[in-house]
Amino acid sequence: MDAAVTLRVERVSKKFCRALDRSLLYGVRDVIGELTGARRSADTLRPGEFWAVRDVGFALARGEALGLVGANGAGKTTLLRMIGGLIRPDTGAIRVRGHVAPLIAFGAGFDPVLSGRENVFANMAILGVATRDIHRRFDEVVDFAELGDALDAPVQTYSSGMAARLGFACAVHTDPDLLLIDEVLAVGDARFRQKCFQRLARLREGGTAFILVSHNAHAVLNVCERAVYLRAGELVCEGPTPDVLLRYEADDFGAAHDARGRLELPPKAPGESLGVDVRAVFFADDDGAPLAGPRTGAPATLCVRCRVTRPVRDASLTVVVNGMGGDAERVLHLVSSADRQSLSIPTGAVELRVRWPWCGLVPGVYGARVVVREGMTPLDTVESFRFTVRSSDVVGPSVYHQPRTWSVVPIGS
Amino acid sequence: MRAARRRGLEAACRPRVRAGALLTDGTEAAGGALGVEPIAPSRLRPAAPAPPAETVHTPESHLRHPLRLAREMVGALAASRSLAWQLALRDLRAQYRQSLLGVAWAFLPPVVLAAGFTLASRGNVIRVGATDIPYPAYVLLSTVLWQTFVEALNGPVAGVAAARSLLARVAFPRESIVLAKLVEIAANLLVKLVLVVAVFWWYAVPVAPTVIAAPLALASLVLFGTLIGLLLAPFGLLYRDVGRGLALLTGAWLMLTPVVYPVPTAGTFATLVRWNPVTALLVTTRELATTGVVSDPARFAIVTAASLLGLLVTWVVFRLAMPFVVERVGS
Repeated sequence: MDAAVTLRVERVSKKFCRALDRSLLYGVRDVIGELTGARRSADTLRPGEFWAVRDVGFALARGEALGLVGANGAGKTTLLRMIGGLIRPDTGAIRVRGHVAPLIAFGAGFDPVLSGRENVFANMAILGVATRDIHRRFDEVVDFAELGDALDAPVQTYSSGMAARLGFACAVHTDPDLLLIDEVLAVGDARFRQKCFQRLARLREGGTAFILVSHNAHAVLNVCERAVYLRAGELVCEGPTPDVLLRYEADDFGAAHDARGRLELPPKAPGESLGVDVRAVFFADDDGAPLAGPRTGAPATLCVRCRVTRPVRDASLTVVVNGMGGDAERVLHLVSSADRQSLSIPTGAVELRVRWPWCGLVPGVYGARVVVREGMTPLDTVESFRFTVRSSDVVGPSVYHQPRTWSVVPIGS
Repeated sequence: MRAARRRGLEAACRPRVRAGALLTDGTEAAGGALGVEPIAPSRLRPAAPAPPAETVHTPESHLRHPLRLAREMVGALAASRSLAWQLALRDLRAQYRQSLLGVAWAFLPPVVLAAGFTLASRGNVIRVGATDIPYPAYVLLSTVLWQTFVEALNGPVAGVAAARSLLARVAFPRESIVLAKLVEIAANLLVKLVLVVAVFWWYAVPVAPTVIAAPLALASLVLFGTLIGLLLAPFGLLYRDVGRGLALLTGAWLMLTPVVYPVPTAGTFATLVRWNPVTALLVTTRELATTGVVSDPARFAIVTAASLLGLLVTWVVFRLAMPFVVERVGS
């Protein structure tokens, strides 16, 4: 294998069995097969089994970051566990160059009775760091975790955030060649997450390759330039992250953004509808003409076009806008009912609109979550409507747009 | 004051840019928006002296490549040492810290057992034959040896069960769990030996010079326990029956081992006891420490050789079985 390649996954498959009794029995049989040196007829399914991962292949170069996206049960974690050497593939081969470290649920292996200091030693030893190296890096780890005086207190007295920080600090100070990150970056406060991202960036410059598994499209977009999309164990597509994410979102939410910044959603099956189905989301100007995206400082109206099959009297519209940053911070949380606006929706084709007299968002890419509710009950949800805010003027380093006028007013003495 | 104001000013001027006005590309905006260092694709770095070793995971049975397997096993053992030490430290500290009686727990069980049998024997509730040394000292020493054997037997099963969630998440050398348990057993044994020495001194029990060889026989006893525990450990993770069966088994096994009674000489029971491999190991250890006369050296040698060989085989089984077991227990 080429020295520049850290990981090569070649036509790898893995089968699982949902029924526990059968699964355990297969486990015992597999062990016996392994011990007798028998070649397992691994590419056929036994009764009750299914493919958790099927014929997946890709490669990862040194210092490269790969996003692994897919719905729950798509096989992401199984693939990660095979790469980590925890379980063996049923077909194919996985070649890894160097040390693999999992960035797992924080503080696995922490003993609640022992102090943070003692746990650092045990935890880092489990992650494969020699005692000598733990001593050498200890101060750095403790600095990173920002525990202060709590270092010698039992871990069970820590807040969940403190424990998470300590776990992360241990994990990112192991100097792996390949780091497997499974859904863990969503922990801790925004500032600490940013610090984590910075540390990951430094590791990467040092040649560490990453695989990042996340439901959070924004996190993947920010860290990985390449992504792999898995569906029901099979590789659907692989390529530049934005393209893969578009495909994933199109499949997962049945939603597709067109070139004009409009999100179209397919009709629902009759059994799934709760009376109000969102069919399209887009921005329009004050004349009702569609906009590719709002302009900073200009008026904009977010239109949520619905197909309504029964009248809803006590409806509300929620729009939550997130930035597309590393921690996808929330920018806006708009709820019609919180504004004491009661919406009454008639049947037929209806557009729910929220007008912004001026768009206060500064230029950039955002994602919005749109929910139509009846009272507290959600009727339909759009998980991710992505839009781009542009500006004709220079906004400067402001975080939001403040509409303003300037003047000089002489005050008589 | 002025410095503080300057810092404030700098903070205000820091370019917290949602990128420029022309930015339309999502990825770039994302990097700029939060002031996160954009993660650059791998740059040219000084070439590493030698590329790190490659590991290959395939479905093929490891037994088809015995040399590679042997190399891996030796490597895993070497890599386990410092980890095992850390794990043992962790467990020992935790064990003694969350406990009022602390170290007392190491010697309370043998004391209670020895006291019970001594009282029963004096009250003629049970009748035991003559022992080479005063009965209380005999029972205490034997119980300590027996419990060390039981700890060795349970160690791998309990250790693997306790590390369950860790096993499902981190690919650390699995051997370290077993080694850590051995360290724990040694530590607990040292505490118990303090008690044994005290009781021997009290009853003025003579100790033969062969006592210096006793640790070797004891090691053999521990290895035999570890052998069985190691074989059961992977399956104990799959089926709870293993843990329960083990508790039942050790209870029955104690009856067949000359712990509270001297080695019987005649009858079916005597044959059963003699064929019990633990008898040879435990009795030899006891004899080396007290009388200095080993009654059945041949049997001891055979059992020791068999357990050394068996341990090697069991280690292979353990090593090969673990990934399959981890696969079934999930995370």
